[in-house]
Amino acid sequence: MDYLTQFAASETGADSDILSTLGIHWELLVLQIVAFLILVWALGKFVYPWLMKQVDERQAKLEESVRAVEEAEKKAESAQEEIAALLKEARREAKDIVTTAKDEAVAMIASSEMKAKTRADKIVKDAHEQIEKDVIAARKTLRNDTIELVALATEKVVGKAVSADIDNKIITTAVKEQA
Amino acid sequence: MASIRLSRRKIAAYIADELIAGRNATRQLAAYLVETKRTREVILVVRDIESALAERGVLVADVAASRDLTPEAKQTIADFLRQTTGAQDVHMRPHVDSDLLGGVRIDTPGQRLDQTVRHRLNQLTASKI
Repeated sequence: MDYLTQFAASETGADSDILSTLGIHWELLVLQIVAFLILVWALGKFVYPWLMKQVDERQAKLEESVRAVEEAEKKAESAQEEIAALLKEARREAKDIVTTAKDEAVAMIASSEMKAKTRADKIVKDAHEQIEKDVIAARKTLRNDTIELVALATEKVVGKAVSADIDNKIITTAVKEQA
Repeated sequence: MASIRLSRRKIAAYIADELIAGRNATRQLAAYLVETKRTREVILVVRDIESALAERGVLVADVAASRDLTPEAKQTIADFLRQTTGAQDVHMRPHVDSDLLGGVRIDTPGQRLDQTVRHRLNQLTASKI
C-alpha cells in the first residue's frame, strides 16, 4: 500500500489531464478495481458461503422456532380446550355428585325419620303392652288379695256368727238342693 | 279260715253277709287279721266291708258337720242318701269338726258330698290366679 501511495504522489505533477483534474489516476483505479475484484472474489469464495450458510441456518432455526411456537400455541389451544372440556366434565360430575349427595341426604333423612317413627311407635306400643300387663298383674294381685281377705273374713265371721239353727237349715237346704 | 289267706274282697263280702244276717262277725274278723298278720289292712278291709254292704242295700255314711245335727237334718240326709243310692237301710256315723265352719260333708263308699263352708272357702282360695 505504501508503494501505491508513493507512485500516485510521483505522478501527480506530470499528468494534468482530465483524470488528474478529477484526482483520478487510472493506474490507481485499475489497481483498485483489481483489488476490488480480488476482494469480491475472496468474499464470494470464502465469506459469502459461510455467511449464507449461517444466515440459512439462522433462518432455519427461526422457522423451526416459529413452527415450535405455532405448535406450542396449537398445543396450548388444544390444552386449553382439553382443560375446558375437563373443567366442564368436572363441573358436570361435581353437579352430579352434589345432586346425588342431596338425594342421598334426603333419602337418609327420610329413612331416619321413618326409623325414628317406627321406633317411637314400637316404644309406645311396648309401653302400652307393659301397662296392660301391669294392669292385668295388678288386677290378679287385687283379686287374689280380695279372695284371701274374703276367705279369712268369712272364716272369722261364720265361725262365730252362724248359730246351730242356721247351720242346720243350711245343711238341710244344701242336701235338698243336691237331691 | 285262719290258715287260708283270703282276698280283702272275699273277706268283706263274707263279713257283710254276716252283718246283714244279724251276726256280729267283728271279733272273727279281728282274729283273722291278727292270725294272718294283716292288721295293717284293717282300714282298707273296713272300707271294703262298707262297699260290700252298700252293694247289698245297706249304706254306711260318715256325716261331718261343725255342730251336732238336729234330728230333722239327720232325717233329711238319710232320705237324701236313700234317694240317691237306692239303699234300703242307711247308717250314719256323725261326727263334729269345728274346722268345717258350717254345712255338712257326707262320705259314702266311693263318693263324697262336701257342702261345708270350709270346702267353699278352699275352692275360693284355689281359684286364685
